[in-house]
Amino acid sequence: MKEAIQFQFTSRQKIFLSGFMGLGVLCMIIILFTDGAAAPRFWSNFLLNTVFFTGIAFIALFAISAMVTAYSGWHTVFKRLWEAYSQFLLVGLILMIIVIIGLFGNFHHLYHWADAASVEADEILQGKSGFLNKGFYTIATLVTIGVWYYFARQMRALSIEEDEVAFGDFSIYKRLKKYAAAFLPIGAVTSAIVIWLWVMSVDAHWYSTLFAWYATSSWFVAMIALSILMLTYLRSLGYFPNVSVEHMHDLGKYLFGFSVFWAYLWFSQFMLIWYGNIGEETIYFNNQRSNYPILFYGNLIINFVAPFFILIRNDTKRKRGTMVLASALVLVGHWADFFLMIKPGVLHTYHEVVGHGDGHSMLGTASEQSARLVADAGHSAETASNFVSGFTIPGLLDIGVFLGFLAFFTYFVFMQLSKARLQPTGDPFIGESIHHHV
Amino acid sequence: MENRNILFGLYDDEQVLMDAVREAKEDDLDILDVYTPFPVHGLDPILGLAESRLHVVGFLFGCVGALTAFLGMSWIFTDEWPMIIGGKPYWSVPAFIPITFEITVLFASIGMVVVFYAVNGLTPRTHTEVLHPRITDDKFAIAFDTSHATEDEIKQLKSFFERSGAEVHIKE
Repeated sequence: MKEAIQFQFTSRQKIFLSGFMGLGVLCMIIILFTDGAAAPRFWSNFLLNTVFFTGIAFIALFAISAMVTAYSGWHTVFKRLWEAYSQFLLVGLILMIIVIIGLFGNFHHLYHWADAASVEADEILQGKSGFLNKGFYTIATLVTIGVWYYFARQMRALSIEEDEVAFGDFSIYKRLKKYAAAFLPIGAVTSAIVIWLWVMSVDAHWYSTLFAWYATSSWFVAMIALSILMLTYLRSLGYFPNVSVEHMHDLGKYLFGFSVFWAYLWFSQFMLIWYGNIGEETIYFNNQRSNYPILFYGNLIINFVAPFFILIRNDTKRKRGTMVLASALVLVGHWADFFLMIKPGVLHTYHEVVGHGDGHSMLGTASEQSARLVADAGHSAETASNFVSGFTIPGLLDIGVFLGFLAFFTYFVFMQLSKARLQPTGDPFIGESIHHHV
Repeated sequence: MENRNILFGLYDDEQVLMDAVREAKEDDLDILDVYTPFPVHGLDPILGLAESRLHVVGFLFGCVGALTAFLGMSWIFTDEWPMIIGGKPYWSVPAFIPITFEITVLFASIGMVVVFYAVNGLTPRTHTEVLHPRITDDKFAIAFDTSHATEDEIKQLKSFFERSGAEVHIKE
C-alpha cells in the first residue's frame, strides 16, 4: 500500500481526465461552429460552467470559514480537499475575464443590458443601467473573485504552515480564525452581488430578491455532492484513511439538509411570485413552465424529491452506494438548475437583439442567416413547446462541455491536493476530527 | 417496577464505563441496563442495542399529516366550501404547500412523542425509581438483574465490579 499521507496524481488519472477535458473542448468547438453569429449556445455554456464551478470553489472557501468560525472540528481530516477546491477561484477569475472581454468586444449577447441599441430604446433597462453596465460588471467581478482568491490563498497557506508548528501552538490557528471570520460577511455580500450580475441579469427585466440565496444554496448542495463523490473515490484508493463513515454521514446530512433548504428557497421564490401575480414577475416562471417543462419539473424531482427520499433514513447516509447515487443525481441536477437559470434569459436576449434582424449590421450574410436560424429556434421555443437541444433542454454537446469542465476542475483539485499533506497535523482540532462520532 | 433485586456498580468516568461494558460483554454477563447522566457516544453498539425505530413512526405520522392536510384542503376548497382567494383557482396547490408542511411537522412530532410515551409506559401517574440519585448528576452505572441469580453468579458480578473499579450497590 502506498503512503496515504501524500496524494500521488498518477499518469493514468491525468490521461483519463485529459481525455474528458479534450471531449469538453471538442464539444465547445463543435458548438462554436454549428452556432449562430455571436454564438449564444457557446457563450451560455461557457458562462454556465464557469459560474457553476467558480461557485463550488467559493462555497468550499465559505464552508471552511464557517467551520473555523464555529470551532467545528469534524471536517478537519478532509479540509485539504475544500482548500484545494477554493484554489479554483484563480481559474474562475481567468474564465470570467474571458466573459468580460466578450462583453466589451460584443462577441456575445449574453446580457440584454450590454446591448447599447436595446438600452436606448428601453426605459426599464435605462433605469437599471446604474447597476447593470459593463464597467460595474467588470469591476465587481474582478474585485470579488480577486478578494475571494486572496482569502483562499491566505487560508490555505496558513493551514499548510500550521503543519510545521508544534502541537498546542495556537498562533496560526488564531490568525486563520481572523481570516475566516472576516470572510463570512464579505463572502455573503459579494456572492449576492456577483450572482445578480452573472446570472440574474441574463433576464435583465426581471428580478427577485431571493435569487442570490437560491443560487448560492444551489452552489452549496453541488459543492457537498462533489465533495462526497471525490472523497468516496479517494478513499477507495486508500487516501484519507481517517475519513470514516461518520464523516460521510455528516456530509450526507449536509446534502440532505441543504437540498431541503434549496427547495425551501425555490418554493419561497416561486410562491410569492405566483401569489403576487404581477405580469412582469410571473413571465419568468410562465416561460419556464410552458417552454422548459422537463427542466422545470425535473429540477424539483432530482434536486428535492430524490435526495429527500433517498437520504431520509439514517443508514442510507452511511452506505457508499446510496450516497454516491444521491450525490451524482444532485450534482447533475444543480448543474441543470443553473442551465435553467441562464438559458431562457440568454435565448430571449438573443431573440431580441439578433432575431429581429434589422438592428445589427455587423452580421455577415452567412452568419446572419445562421443567427436567424438559432433565433427562430429560440422563438419557436418561446411560443410552442418543442424542445431545442442545447437551449430548452441540455443536449449531448452541452453535457460534453459539462463533463469537460468537471474533469478540468477535478484535474486542478488533484494537482492542488498533491502539493500538500492530505491530513493536516497542526490543526488543534485534528484529534477531535479523527475520533469524530455521530 | 416489581420486586427485583438489582445489583449495580457506579463509575466515575465514561471511558472506564465503556471499558467495563466491553469486558462484561466479553464475559457474557447479562447486563440489564446502563445508566448515564448524558448520552455516551459509542455505547449503543457495544451494548448491542438495535437502532431505535421511532423515526419510522415519525415518517409514517408525517405521511399521514401530509395527506390529511393536502387532501383535506383539496376537498374543502373544491367541494365543501369553495372560495375564491386572490383570484386563484379553487384547487391552488402552491398555496396548500406551506400548510401541508406545517401539518406534516405537527403530526410527526406529536405522533413521535405519544408513541414514545406509550411504548415506554410513561403516563402522567407513572413513578420511576432512580437507582441512585447521582446517576442523574455525574455517575455512570451498569445494572444487573439478580432476582434469580445464584450466590456464585452474584459473586462473579461483584468480582467483575471490583476488577473494573466500580462502587457496588444493591437495590431491592
